[in-house]
Amino acid sequence: MYIELDHGGGGAKSSELIKQVRKILGGAGKWQNSGDDSASLALSKISLPKKACQNQHLLLTTDAFIVDPIFFPGGDIGKIAVCGTINDLAVMGAKPLGISLSIVVEEGFPRADFLRIIKSIAKVSKEAGVPIVTGDTKVTEKGKLDKIEITTAGIGMAEKVINNAGAQVGDVVIASGDLGEHTVALLSERFGYRSRVSSDCKPIDKEMLAIGKFVHAAKDPTRGGLAANLVEMAEKSKVKIVLDENLLPYKKETIALGGLLGIDIFSFVSEGRFLATVSEKDAAKVLRILKKFNPEAKIIGNVQKPVRRRGGDTGVYLQTKLGSLRPIEMPNGKLIPRIC
Amino acid sequence: MKKEQKSLPKLLSKIEKVASQIKRNVVLMEVCGTHTQTVSKNGIRSLLPKNVKLLTGPGCPVCVTAQEDIDAVVTLSKAGVPIATYGDMLRVPGFFGSLEQARSQGAKVFSVYSIQEALEFKKDFPNLVFFGLGFETTTPMTAVALQNGLTVYSSHKLFLPAMNALLEAGQTKIDGFISPGHIATIIGTKPFEHLKVAQVIAGFEAEDVLVAIYLLLCQIRDGRKEVENEYVRLVKKDGNQVAQKMIAECFKVCNGNWRGFGKIESSGLEVKNPKLNAKIKHKNILSKIDFSQSKKPTGCRCGEIIRGTLSPKQCPMFGKVCTPENPYGPCMVSEEGACNNYFRFMV
Repeated sequence: MYIELDHGGGGAKSSELIKQVRKILGGAGKWQNSGDDSASLALSKISLPKKACQNQHLLLTTDAFIVDPIFFPGGDIGKIAVCGTINDLAVMGAKPLGISLSIVVEEGFPRADFLRIIKSIAKVSKEAGVPIVTGDTKVTEKGKLDKIEITTAGIGMAEKVINNAGAQVGDVVIASGDLGEHTVALLSERFGYRSRVSSDCKPIDKEMLAIGKFVHAAKDPTRGGLAANLVEMAEKSKVKIVLDENLLPYKKETIALGGLLGIDIFSFVSEGRFLATVSEKDAAKVLRILKKFNPEAKIIGNVQKPVRRRGGDTGVYLQTKLGSLRPIEMPNGKLIPRIC
Repeated sequence: MKKEQKSLPKLLSKIEKVASQIKRNVVLMEVCGTHTQTVSKNGIRSLLPKNVKLLTGPGCPVCVTAQEDIDAVVTLSKAGVPIATYGDMLRVPGFFGSLEQARSQGAKVFSVYSIQEALEFKKDFPNLVFFGLGFETTTPMTAVALQNGLTVYSSHKLFLPAMNALLEAGQTKIDGFISPGHIATIIGTKPFEHLKVAQVIAGFEAEDVLVAIYLLLCQIRDGRKEVENEYVRLVKKDGNQVAQKMIAECFKVCNGNWRGFGKIESSGLEVKNPKLNAKIKHKNILSKIDFSQSKKPTGCRCGEIIRGTLSPKQCPMFGKVCTPENPYGPCMVSEEGACNNYFRFMV
């Protein structure tokens, strides 16, 4: 059984498929959606102390997902699509309220794989307690798309909005766990390597909310990995972040794969981790909380005052084991393995 | 010749000591793209004694690929021949643009991570040509492709003739080479003995490179010109004979065309089987290219950088018009290139 053009045509075949998808996804939680054009949420249903209402912010985010391979150790494109959006809200301090789901699928895509992806979406959505409240499915002609593309949007609410420009001199930088394992899983699958590492893809909203009040700046190191996301944080916060090579948050397997293929592990992607800066006095407390979620959470560096010299030296640096200090650069473009 | 297990600070102070015993300036050269990365990533240059200079040589496969070869493959792609090659190669500008630009104009160009991926593409594009480049390390993989019937445009090279050419040209006085561990894994330590210069074949961790520097300095101090093997955990005297046999079966030695050197005698590898040799198969397209234009100067000085006669920072374009985002020459494109590493790691 394959997905056909008619499944996206709006006719009987469409409604049959949508019905099945809706059944798998379950209800819309506190949201109202009876198959109409939008989902609605009565604000009275969100339990908030009356006074708090004035200080609340609504947050909206969206992301498009293309992944190759679609299924990989530890997840699939559906799981990533939901986690990605939950995490983009969570890392800014918001509690996710609901998610929209748009799928474009290529004609001839196996129906079983399609339903497997929907089931995986349903599973994370239920576990995280964030309902899929509205959605759309379109089918493209064969050859016009590489299998499947998923777009999710999410809406969340936060009392304190955390961004990536708030890192302060004297802060420590904390990684919520070991990084880069999503890339390790994808590369292992792609090259046929056997590896114990599976994707780190998971929602981070619970742990992020638990430490939210201590956080000065946070970012989930998805595309571009630690390199891109921490450099962005340092630039926007106008600080110098120095990481200690002895405390790098990467597993032996991750470092080995990076060495083997000649790809910089600092640009390896994580789909269920975040980097946060907190003041040094709160560090121990924050770490204690985070370790309950992931024992590998640790301090990886600190935030320093940039020395103004020829345009300044804001950015991220690595204190190497040899004692030298070298910059960690924003990665450019695609990850390309070494040839020689 | 056993690898010395020393802590890093101890190694640095030992290097300092031997360097002070040599009462002159010493020029060392690393000649492998991965060594270039290790040196830059660990800021090793900034830690070396003042009288020890470490140059980057012709170890980056993308960088030494001749302009003529890039122009030829770009022309093939524009003539409708599907091309597969390794990622960095796509971005090197040739006279008729880069493969990446050809792709955006509709040419079928695929970036592959491995030879298996190229073989997969062959299923959908039976006339696919694999643009093979690199030294003895990557050639066996291309041999696998040939054994599986994939057509190859070979820009493969033998590495030792280039090291020899550097010494013979004498433009840069080189006191010792950190010799390429990956290549030695395939060809063994023996062939390196023909070069009359101090050499240490090294692995790719910071420790490996520091041990190599230390051993080289000891040789120079003592006036020895030997081949020492620091990378004993992988490099054997006779190398990987299975791989050597595969290279010999699928390729014949020819004069190689190198960026920065030009033709070096017996340094190239050409596909033996004429049916799988893209240069023969697509002769009608390739013979029409006006290669005189390939040599047109663009201000790019990668050739001098590859030979170690110019340091990246001495190139007038470095970091100004030529950056990793907008590279003029291959040394800035490839993550194994000297300029790319100098730019990214500011050393």
